[in-house]
Amino acid sequence: MTEPLGTFGRFAGPATLILSSLAEGAKHGWALTKDVEAFAGVRLAPGTLYEALSRLEGLGLIEALPSDDRRRPYRLTAAGAEALRAHLARERQVVDVGLSRLAAKWGTG
Amino acid sequence: MSRAEQRARRLLRWYPRAWRERYGDEFFELLLADIAERPRSWSRTFDIARSGAAARLGFSGAVHALPSRERAGARLAAFVAAGSAFVLFGMAIWAQLAIGWQWSRPSTPATSAAIVAMSCLLASFASLAVLGVVPVLWTIARRLVTRRGHGLAAPFTVFLAGTAVSVLGARHFAAGWPGTGGHPWAQQHLLPGHAAALAWAETLSVTAYWAHPGALLGFPADELLWMAASPVALVAAVAGGARAIRRLELSPRVLRFELALARLACAGMVAFVAAACCWIAAGGTGPRNLFHIGAIDFAAVGAMVAALLVARRAGADARAALAQ
Repeated sequence: MTEPLGTFGRFAGPATLILSSLAEGAKHGWALTKDVEAFAGVRLAPGTLYEALSRLEGLGLIEALPSDDRRRPYRLTAAGAEALRAHLARERQVVDVGLSRLAAKWGTG
Repeated sequence: MSRAEQRARRLLRWYPRAWRERYGDEFFELLLADIAERPRSWSRTFDIARSGAAARLGFSGAVHALPSRERAGARLAAFVAAGSAFVLFGMAIWAQLAIGWQWSRPSTPATSAAIVAMSCLLASFASLAVLGVVPVLWTIARRLVTRRGHGLAAPFTVFLAGTAVSVLGARHFAAGWPGTGGHPWAQQHLLPGHAAALAWAETLSVTAYWAHPGALLGFPADELLWMAASPVALVAAVAGGARAIRRLELSPRVLRFELALARLACAGMVAFVAAACCWIAAGGTGPRNLFHIGAIDFAAVGAMVAALLVARRAGADARAALAQ
């Protein structure tokens, strides 16, 4: 199966951060920015954030919720949770290989 | 309205109307919060300008939430815009080479082959454009006759006006082309001199003279005016055409036909860039320095490669949207 985030190109990074943030619960744009900044140390610029949000929404990986005020929250869909899980599993594989090779050649540091 | 709200409103204008209708309110709130924390930020302005331009080309934003057919139409419009930019820069390169050949044949087979290949490829682009325009014009005519052409009149008028100015202006200046001046070296006849003159006049704005204002001021006033007006007319024609394509909601059959043509055009663009690189690799110059390579040619090839990448992605996205 093609991994949906694999088609994101340079937006794969922001998309992973957004999905990881929404895995905790629905958030609007500013709450997403602050949460990602807190857990990843990355400040998503507004244009980049909304480019990734619109792509994720177009693929059905997140959905917009109705809102009383102007700040619209987004939440993860079941397809989004599955895509994030598959993407992170692949990333973990890379992390595991990299760390084990580092440990074998360069020690544990 | 506070200063932060004014700044946020200005930033929002980078995005097209459809995008603002879908995301405008929530994006405005995000910008207000961001501006409160970072009142001035060049990186934010740059990010929004880049992302707004991408949204205007149909690569992001509300386009992703559109139904597949509309999305394919939006991508096709982006392809048309990128393809037009490619042809403009390609024609600028080709015109100087074709004019050089009017004076004398190139001294290297590589340059000769490159110019012949570029000539054939430009002719094939023109054929593909005609084939692509026919079903679009047919659809527009049917919509207008059956009174379902709502929203088409304005972009179609802009397209016609831009095209008329481009064609009539280029014809006028081609008629006054300094050309070969009847010199005995001239008239090598790779192609009719008028075709080279027309291409020269149409692409007069693609020139290194912009970097030399002193020399530029020595040009006749009407030529300067044309150098400034012709890109505006071309942009109007392309923007009007692209907007009309987006509003037309072409049938899946027509879209598939257009995308098949787009695929052929992309292959032609790759070949055209290869031919231009072949000329550059051959070292240019030639008899009487007629096939000289300048900084503007490197810039034009760079712009063509960028346009090709945008066009390829637009075509691929359109096909993917249509297959959904």
